Amino acid sequence: MSMKEITDFVAQFNASILLDGSRIVRNRNRYYLLSKKLKQQVPKGFFYAGAYLGAVKGASFFPSFLLLAMIAERKANKLVIDKKTAWLFICGRDIFQQGILEGNNLKKGDYTLILNEHNECLGFGKIMHNLRGAPDAKKVAVKNILDIGDFLRREKRQSRRQQPSSRLQGSDRKPHKPTHK
Amino acid sequence: MSGKEFFVNRYKKLGWIYRQVKLKQAIRINTMNANRDDVAERLESLGILLDKIPFLEDGYWITKTKFSVGATAEYLLGLYSIQEAAAQIPVTLFTELEDKTVLDACASPGGKTVQLANLMNNSGVIVALELKQRKMFALVNQLERSRVTNTAVYNMDAKEASNLNIEFDCVLLDVPCSGNYVTDKGWFNKRTSEDVHRNARRQRQILTEAVKVTKDDGEIVYATCSLEPEENELNIDWAIETLNVKVEEINCHGEKALTNVFGKELDRSIEKCKRIWPNQTQGFFVCKLRKKV
Repeated sequence: MSMKEITDFVAQFNASILLDGSRIVRNRNRYYLLSKKLKQQVPKGFFYAGAYLGAVKGASFFPSFLLLAMIAERKANKLVIDKKTAWLFICGRDIFQQGILEGNNLKKGDYTLILNEHNECLGFGKIMHNLRGAPDAKKVAVKNILDIGDFLRREKRQSRRQQPSSRLQGSDRKPHKPTHK
Repeated sequence: MSGKEFFVNRYKKLGWIYRQVKLKQAIRINTMNANRDDVAERLESLGILLDKIPFLEDGYWITKTKFSVGATAEYLLGLYSIQEAAAQIPVTLFTELEDKTVLDACASPGGKTVQLANLMNNSGVIVALELKQRKMFALVNQLERSRVTNTAVYNMDAKEASNLNIEFDCVLLDVPCSGNYVTDKGWFNKRTSEDVHRNARRQRQILTEAVKVTKDDGEIVYATCSLEPEENELNIDWAIETLNVKVEEINCHGEKALTNVFGKELDRSIEKCKRIWPNQTQGFFVCKLRKKV
């Protein structure tokens, strides 16, 4: 099974990651890294398993936040941003140079992980201009590509998708429908 | 039979006087991802005031917050989960979880699955089952956010768990139930005694399958957020009589479960189960069963 999509994605951050190919499983368009125990014990047909690494859609690879956190533990392109910038980044905003605390040696076109002051990975972005030199308050320094606010946006998208069916359930509401905590 | 009066009278016969309870929001720190004190400190610096839940190691009540605790960076990074206080109890009752093979039979939305992974420190294997396709998304979103890596999720009915051909050391049965009025404002208008009986029958089917897939001497934790004895004490009484299980002593928040329900004497060992009437938490019932060798 090819892991090229994953290794190519990781390489964009000037990083490399050692993954045991025998423990990577592709399920539909999604890649999972299974522990030895999971690999041994768990039968096929799962919906989700182990460490979700990302999904392939067309020619693009969409990483999971677990994969980004794994890359962040290694030597890779990283920017540390301040508290306020971190909050705006999570809300889907791009990064201006004033908010960057560390890691100004990246050049235009590079991909970089975005870390908060606690060195936790919040997502990744693309450098829009060389970060050396005086900051330009009006210019976007890093374009937001993916941030952890996506967990909330996914839920919103999903509940919007489910609305028509929940309306149907409402009109055909059965009083005995069990509640789940 | 239905309606508020009907249910409130039942509770009175069981020895509890109904009262309205305002549910306190609670969180649980995911200690596999962060240090408990650090997270508490970070949240307090954001203006989220916490109060340690006395009967839980990792649980805190939210006493004051200006914004949703489900929209902080700390939440999105999986440093904590939003989980009602009583609902945090069942997972803590297993004797030993590290490196074990665990079944979470009715897993969505995944709060307890994450708690299991947390207490297992992502070791061993969790098999999480969820029957409803539409609930799968919330479950896997929760697992990815909380950085759970030891779990396999199946879109499967708990009543068919034996099809997986896995023997489990521990089984969590957080079974679908009638719920209670604290978490559902329209509860009294929706429920009937027939619903309760229907849910109880389904819970017995799940219990039967759970015993089938549990190793000898393995543990089953059974929990509901229902106040109705048919889904709680009466089901456990039935399990003791019918299935190869015994009730184990547990040491947690709650009072002794009932051993006399509407005049029917139940097995004495049922008093080892815990019943939580709504007060500081929602209503809850929890017990630990051991499969006899």
